[in-house]
Amino acid sequence: MTREKVRKIEGIIALSLSTLAALFGLFWLVFILGDVLLHGMKALSPSLFTSDPAPAGVEGGGLRNAFVGQLMITACATLIGVPVGVLGGTFLAEYARGRQIARIISVLADIMVSVPSIVIGTFIYAVLVKPFGHFNGWAGAVALAIIMIPVVLRTTENMLSLVPWTLREAAFALGAPYYKVIMQVVYRGAATGILTGILLSIARVAGETAPLLFTSFNNSFFSLNMKQPISSLTVTIFQYAMGPYDNWHAQAWAASFVITVFILALTIAGRLIIKWRYK
Amino acid sequence: MPETVEIEVKGLNFHYAGDIHALKNINLSVHRNAVTALIGPSGCGKTTLLRCFNRMHDLYPKHRYEGEILFQGTNILANGTDLINLRSRIGMVFQKPTPFPMTIFDNISYGLKLTGIRKRADLSEKVESALRHAALWDEVKDKLNASAYDLSGGQQQRLVIARALAVNPEVLLFDEPTSALDPISTSKIEELAGVLKKEITIVIVTHNMQQAARISDWTGFLMLGELIEFDRTEKIFTAPSEKLTEDYVTGRFG
Repeated sequence: MTREKVRKIEGIIALSLSTLAALFGLFWLVFILGDVLLHGMKALSPSLFTSDPAPAGVEGGGLRNAFVGQLMITACATLIGVPVGVLGGTFLAEYARGRQIARIISVLADIMVSVPSIVIGTFIYAVLVKPFGHFNGWAGAVALAIIMIPVVLRTTENMLSLVPWTLREAAFALGAPYYKVIMQVVYRGAATGILTGILLSIARVAGETAPLLFTSFNNSFFSLNMKQPISSLTVTIFQYAMGPYDNWHAQAWAASFVITVFILALTIAGRLIIKWRYK
Repeated sequence: MPETVEIEVKGLNFHYAGDIHALKNINLSVHRNAVTALIGPSGCGKTTLLRCFNRMHDLYPKHRYEGEILFQGTNILANGTDLINLRSRIGMVFQKPTPFPMTIFDNISYGLKLTGIRKRADLSEKVESALRHAALWDEVKDKLNASAYDLSGGQQQRLVIARALAVNPEVLLFDEPTSALDPISTSKIEELAGVLKKEITIVIVTHNMQQAARISDWTGFLMLGELIEFDRTEKIFTAPSEKLTEDYVTGRFG
């Protein structure tokens, strides 16, 4: 066989193997999404959003408490996590640039990104649940915020590093102090990247269950009190899917559908921002 | 031509981090209302010297200045020099255009806002005057709220000059301002330098010897961190005192 032929055959083998792998992955993805879509759509109804759970075993009711609780926990987590992440990333990329401390924090943040979320859940349990004697919404929000921080921090750091140095020098050359250079020039240059990172980090924590099981737990009643246990979609899905009732299963499917759509929307928004910025 | 000295460099030595001796005992005088060009082969220290005038090196750690740079009689290398004030009096234009990611209007008003001007009417007036100064007004007056990135490279460079002019600097430093531009944009900026020197003092670093010959009144030739010769431009280009200068300006090396 000639060399040329061998190379062609090698090429065909590589192409078919990678195509197969891609199709394999895609199959499961479509299967999962299709399944959630199919079952979820069936159980979707207005009362799902407007009424609270019916007593166990009784037909009807909705998951209003879980939707509201989920939004509150996620919103509070964002309010805590985003400022810390953005400011921390700013410290690494600007004030501590090139210093040992910046490298150490970056590596630690990378490790934090891959720490299993249940570890963070148990940690918060020890710090914010045990001392108060009961599960509470704030503990859930803090647990999610801790998962967000390293993601936002690293994205911010990377996006700020992408802003060319000459732009900062140009602002300095006009007599701007460093904090104004950062706030008015560098942030503007990196705004879309940072915003995308924030959206993706919200999408990431919105799907977390394990850290909430140990912190905000669940509440069958409608509650806006973050100091008490509060319901969330993911924990509700977990409990309903394990439960014995058919209408629980249907509602778990519907909740899965809604949260999937929510995360999908956030991710798409993130992509759209990138596309709009770099068109 | 007036002969007032605006900036006087006395025995300047500069070290980058890692003890790299980039400038060796530089002495020269920058004259007011004149264009001073710094020429020399790549890596000779001309940009390094230029960036001493507004202490740009201070952004990076472990640099070291020795000697004096007297700006209107005050040593700007002294400890405790107010860098924010210094940089608003000595502006700088870079090699590549550096418009900020905002509108044309906001780019120009950025420096004005730093000096505390807030009123919209005052800003508008000064923005217009700066853009006229930089010969850009007619091209952008209808799109002041467009992104500065929509302008061409040559327009962006004039925008950046306008931005520097808006804060009324006494000296403007140009770091190879035309090396990324086409010939027409280049000639516009050269013309501008000729007009601007009536009001301010200009120091320009350039790779292009013809450019130095065309627009400057004084020329300094640097090599390997040393100032080989500093004199009136016509002398440098017609009858230099140093053999090295002659070899460089006649294109024998560099």
